[in-house]
Amino acid sequence: MFFVLNLTHQVTLHPSYFGRSMHELVTGKLLKDVEGTCTGRYFIITIMDTVDISEGRILPGSGLAEFNVSYRAVVWRPFKGETVDAIVTSVNQVGFFADAGPLPLFVSSHLIPPDIKFDPNATPPQFTNNEDSVIEVGTHVRVKLIGTRAEVGSMYAIASIKEDYLGCLQGS
Amino acid sequence: MSTANLVNENFDDSEDEDDFNPKPADLSDVEDAGDGEDPNVQIRNEAAKHLADEDNNSEDGGDRRRSSNKSQDEDEDDEGGGGEDEDEDDEEDEDDEEIAGPKRKRVKRDRRNVFLDVEAEVDEDEDEADEDEEGNEIDGGFIADTHPDDLADLPAGGETDDRRHRELDRRREMEASLDAEKQAEILRQRYANKNRSGRGLGESDIVPRRLLLPSINDPSIWAVRCKEGKEREVVFSIIKRIEERMGTHDELKITSAFERGGIMSVMKGFIYVEAQRSADIMTALDGLMNVYPRTKMLMIEIKDMPDLLRVTKTPPLEPGAYVRLKRPPKYAGDLAQVIDVTDTGLELRVRYVPRLDYGMNEDMNAQLDGSKRKRTAAGPRPPQRLFSEIDAKKRHAKHLSGNPQTKSWSYLGDDYINGFCEKEVKLQALTTKDINPSLEEVTRFASGADDGTENLDLNALAASLKQSTANASYLPGDIIEVWEGEQKGVMGKAVSIHGDIVTMAVSEGPLRGQKIEVPVKGLRKRFKEGDHVKVIGGSRYRDEVGMVVKIAEDRVTLLSDQGNNEITVFSKDLREASDSGGNASLGQFELWDLIQLDPATVACVVKVERESLVVLDQNNQSRTVLPSQISNKIEKQRRSLVATDRNGAQIKLDDNVKEHAGETRTGKVIHIFRTYLFLRSASQSSNAGIFVTRTSAVNSVTAKATAASASLDLMAMNPALKLNPGAGNGGDMPPPKSFTRDRSIGQTVTIRKGPYKGLLGIVKEATDSSARVELHTKNKTIQVPKDALAFKDKLTGASIDPNGRGGRGGFSGRGGRGGFGGATPGGWEGGRTPAAGGDLGRTPAWGLGRTPAANGGRTPAWKKDGPDSGSRTPGWADGSRTVNPYDGSRTSYGGGNRTPAWSSGAKTPAYGGISSNAFDAGSKTPGYGGSGGGDAWGSKTPAYQPTPAADTWSSNNQSSSNSWGSNAYDAPTPGAPMSAPTPAAAPTPGDYSAPTPAPYSAPTPTAAPTPAPGWGGGWGAPTPQAMDAPTPGGQGAYYAAPTPGAYVGVPETPAANWQDDGPRYVD
Repeated sequence: MFFVLNLTHQVTLHPSYFGRSMHELVTGKLLKDVEGTCTGRYFIITIMDTVDISEGRILPGSGLAEFNVSYRAVVWRPFKGETVDAIVTSVNQVGFFADAGPLPLFVSSHLIPPDIKFDPNATPPQFTNNEDSVIEVGTHVRVKLIGTRAEVGSMYAIASIKEDYLGCLQGS
Repeated sequence: MSTANLVNENFDDSEDEDDFNPKPADLSDVEDAGDGEDPNVQIRNEAAKHLADEDNNSEDGGDRRRSSNKSQDEDEDDEGGGGEDEDEDDEEDEDDEEIAGPKRKRVKRDRRNVFLDVEAEVDEDEDEADEDEEGNEIDGGFIADTHPDDLADLPAGGETDDRRHRELDRRREMEASLDAEKQAEILRQRYANKNRSGRGLGESDIVPRRLLLPSINDPSIWAVRCKEGKEREVVFSIIKRIEERMGTHDELKITSAFERGGIMSVMKGFIYVEAQRSADIMTALDGLMNVYPRTKMLMIEIKDMPDLLRVTKTPPLEPGAYVRLKRPPKYAGDLAQVIDVTDTGLELRVRYVPRLDYGMNEDMNAQLDGSKRKRTAAGPRPPQRLFSEIDAKKRHAKHLSGNPQTKSWSYLGDDYINGFCEKEVKLQALTTKDINPSLEEVTRFASGADDGTENLDLNALAASLKQSTANASYLPGDIIEVWEGEQKGVMGKAVSIHGDIVTMAVSEGPLRGQKIEVPVKGLRKRFKEGDHVKVIGGSRYRDEVGMVVKIAEDRVTLLSDQGNNEITVFSKDLREASDSGGNASLGQFELWDLIQLDPATVACVVKVERESLVVLDQNNQSRTVLPSQISNKIEKQRRSLVATDRNGAQIKLDDNVKEHAGETRTGKVIHIFRTYLFLRSASQSSNAGIFVTRTSAVNSVTAKATAASASLDLMAMNPALKLNPGAGNGGDMPPPKSFTRDRSIGQTVTIRKGPYKGLLGIVKEATDSSARVELHTKNKTIQVPKDALAFKDKLTGASIDPNGRGGRGGFSGRGGRGGFGGATPGGWEGGRTPAAGGDLGRTPAWGLGRTPAANGGRTPAWKKDGPDSGSRTPGWADGSRTVNPYDGSRTSYGGGNRTPAWSSGAKTPAYGGISSNAFDAGSKTPGYGGSGGGDAWGSKTPAYQPTPAADTWSSNNQSSSNSWGSNAYDAPTPGAPMSAPTPAAAPTPGDYSAPTPAPYSAPTPTAAPTPAPGWGGGWGAPTPQAMDAPTPGGQGAYYAAPTPGAYVGVPETPAANWQDDGPRYVD
């Protein structure tokens, strides 16, 4: 689910950058540091604007200046039970991997309807029910997240297509 | 005999109440036989005339009843042997059934007196003395009174008739008696009936349990202190004393004595004696060893008496089960497997892995001294190892005997079979609860089969494990479900756990909100798909963390976080994991660590097991190693460490790369080691997603834009300031440019190197790198590199410091050839090589590289060192190369392999030009080919010709092939000449900003700049070998920038280069 969040971030600047364009540098650094990252609970999709850049504070010892930047960002937090669209990135015996935007997810073969079976002989390997559902690398699928796992800078999810209206997206 | 006599009528329910019955009757026999296996010995002291009786009769405290069939048999024997009267009794019953008619019955009943004495006898056997007496009296009176009457009542001949019937019946009975069991059953029923009626306890088969409990009328039980561990001995001596004094005046007046000793018992140190008065006990025990009746005897309260005899059942041990040894200390805690259990269950035959040192650590001198030997035994115990007769023979051959065929040996008094030590052990010396054997321990037993097959008894293991994990594995907060019993199906959360009882707050269903208590055994944990769980308990997947993907009954399938593989375990072995499934680690080694196995092999940890690591080495082979086999751990390399992919793009840690060929796998770089990359791919399940490739086999797929912007580190020095002195106060000021004539002109010099070495001359013309010297000896002007000159005072001949002259551009400022420093300045210091000016991102080197000359561009030196490709030095391969930061994402090396700087140097005609001197080595470049001298190279490199500079060159060369100025150095300079022909390069001259031709003209730095670096190195170490000699690292240090980029970049900054070389040059 997407949210707009007010967040803060600390940017430090080397004294050699002090000058007129400091704020642009700070903003640039913020974008670089933050945008597209994962906090472990959500992904920061984009930064809408910076609300405030504090005055720089010189850090004793190093001479670097520290700025507290508060900004608004669009974040996406995947929830258990959320239904998302994803693109299959790899298919193997035990299931397939897909990416829902920044979120890699895995659909175990236990979570695939029993009629959709793994066909190792196809090129590329695919899950198929020999009818309309063919899941291979690149296929667009709609999945339901049944569990997410957070790691330090990344997230990971387990998803299922074993429900109605999940699975291959037709016409994609 | 005061104890209540509760006899056969209790057969039926006695089995249910074995709590009360410490020992079955058959065990009593064993005790009496003197077998000491029963920890609880009871003896009975009955009235003298009953002493011969077995324990069929009242037992102990009187609250005991017979329970076993055996005692029934005894009954039968006793009574059957007692006489035929019983049979007659049978007959009577049968008659009752067979013959109808009240009269007959009455008659028979009347005649019952015939058997009455028999019945009395039976009673006598089983009843207490007083009652017997009573009964006898009654019986006696009955017989006396009725018998005559009966006779009178009988019809004539009735008596004899009856006798015949009886004989017939007796015969029948004899036949029936062949089936002892049946007979026993009949007897049992009959006696049950008889006694019931005789006792007047009513019609009920069941005697309320409370009536069996001791009352105040029963003798009291006293606890008497005795020596701990001697309880049984004391009881035996009491038995003995009873027998001795039987029938004498001082018969013991105690009813029973028993003990409940044992190591774990709380009742050890006491024997329990039953008697009416404590004084009786005092006299009975007086003078016995190890028992102290004179200390305070404790009288047991009546309500506590039953507890004295309560038996707690220990679960029976079965062969195959695992136990732990408690003794001897050497084996304390070791796992053992039960092979056999004696009938009593008190002694077991177990096998275990011996800990033997085969006398290796024995102090030979101490053998005679017993006390000392004991002490040595207390040392560190030897490791567990299967018995080896070979080792045993080494020093203890005399203690060893056995049969190699059967692999059974006897060594130092113990039996060793198949390598295991087998021994009879008392139950007390074993731990049988909470064994929880680890898989490693168990596999020792499993692998012991002769044929090497694994014969792991999973059932036995499961049984051992079940005991241990039953209750310990629930924690408050666990989501649990009741799956057994009345509350089946109730779900909730564990609130608290006390022993085997779990209090749970029900979360669903009608009981919602209530707290109920459930025994552990009826519970299981409940998980949902998607839960993040950790495997605990005895499973071999212990400590794996993963996400639940499937649940079937109590089997849960989870997808491991680490290995991308699926694991199925029992839900009892799972526990909810905290969200951060911590990476496993073993000692200092963690998952994904790079470790060194031997000097040539590194590997990445792909799995951490409990005692070993699975690693994937650089050859893509996985193996299992123990931490002890790892020579060291390679710390995560510094972030700056890079390699180049097949296109020359940089690869850093955490970059995403894709295989060029093969499976075109994609992965994130987690380690770079020489030319190997350890990549991790989330979509690969083998080796935890790790695979190995070579740097030359992958393409970087990391977005270049981010890489470029990432290079701007706002927390470090602003590179713009650092490299653009004009833009701020950041960089050093370049040495002042000198546009005056070279100060070396007109100076007297000696030539220090080359064919003209030692000759004196006067500098007539000079560029910044070479000078034309008019020799004093011959009337000839030669061209000599400036660093081959030593300046002399015109008058004194003394050496003078060329720097002192100040004039010579380069020399002045920097201790090196200031000229260079000055020369390069503009473009270069701006962070661009001169060439770069014309062609962004490309150093002149690039241009060079493309020239035909480039083919020969690799200096021999490089070739020698580069194992992979001629051009690549190991140093490069190491990934120690950094990218020229100003260059964007491409290394300034141009593909890395081609070290432009070097190439340029290599190809430089300069070499050719200098063919005669130390640079000879370099002369092999094609450029040299025809180069007899400077002209050769000049002419060969196309670049030269077109450029005016080339002209200069050639002219120079012609004049003197040796001339340092030739510049070989410059010439080669990729910068100028080479680029000249190329359109891109075209601007270069301009770029130099020096008056164009000037570059070559000595004073202008222009020409010098680019190649200079390369040359600098070259000069510094004149032989090509020297060039490669320095390891990249070394070079890095040398140039104060480890990165290859630096190597190129910095050298090109003349300043640095010259500083390095300066001293030599000065020499």
